Amino acid sequence: MKFWMVIFLVIAIPCYAASDLHPFSNPIEEQRYQSLIQEVRCVVCQGQSIAESNAPLANDLRDKIAFYIKDGKPDAEIKSYLVKRYGEFILYKPRVTGATLFLWFFPILAVFFSLSLIAKQLIKKTNT
Amino acid sequence: MKKLIPFVILFALCAILLKEVYFTNKAELPSALVGQPVPAFVLYDVKRPGIKFTEKTLANGKNVTLLNVWATWCSACAAEHNMLLKIAKDYRIPIYSIDYKDDRDAAVKWLQTAGDPFVLTGNDDKGNTGIDLGVYGTPETFIISKKGNIVYRHVGMIDQQSWDEILYPLIKHLNGAT
Repeated sequence: MKFWMVIFLVIAIPCYAASDLHPFSNPIEEQRYQSLIQEVRCVVCQGQSIAESNAPLANDLRDKIAFYIKDGKPDAEIKSYLVKRYGEFILYKPRVTGATLFLWFFPILAVFFSLSLIAKQLIKKTNT
Repeated sequence: MKKLIPFVILFALCAILLKEVYFTNKAELPSALVGQPVPAFVLYDVKRPGIKFTEKTLANGKNVTLLNVWATWCSACAAEHNMLLKIAKDYRIPIYSIDYKDDRDAAVKWLQTAGDPFVLTGNDDKGNTGIDLGVYGTPETFIISKKGNIVYRHVGMIDQQSWDEILYPLIKHLNGAT
């Protein structure tokens, strides 16, 4: 029993490592930080968010985000800062602008369109 | 004939999917700064720390310049070094550079032994200018217009082919020849 407790505790340590490097004075800022770093893609190791990635750029961007949160910048401004330099691709949820409208709405429109086609076919069939 | 429309749509979607999966270099990001002026920065030359290098240096109004981002820890940068020397000496295009997150002494030694194709090399040891330029994978080379706007970003090492096919024609076009 004690053996497993030790194992679980040891495994849990790295999960707190990231927040230890950027101590925040209040929990709201900490929460914003944790949330933001999961929304930002690591453009070097493109399968990961910067929360997960250990690439130098990911580390630098986490530092920047922590700095700007402590500096009182709102989330929207921090996201703009990143998008200005790296493009919308850096956010996992690209912001809804003219350029990304197609990205956001095409799937639901396509489903709606297909369903209406199917409905038309079914109505035709039941009427003959 | 009308019955074929769904299949045509499906075929078109599959063709797009095929192109994106097999024929697109997905890892490469287009620069978000294309068309915009080089973001403001202040760096000091690695060899002569009294010499200042800013975005205004690149907006001299007289020639198109290249801005190369490199580091001594970046092996692809070492691989493209000879091509940069050729561009500077044979093609006579001014190349400015940024030494990104690097050790200044190592950089100076490297330029002394391997040759220095750069007019100036800014010391960006903290990497802040790199972030402002949207650098994500060295080497990166920006083509800067005479007015100091970013026209194009090339990610990865420059070889003769990419120079002949993309970069040099673009530079010649910007310089006024066609």
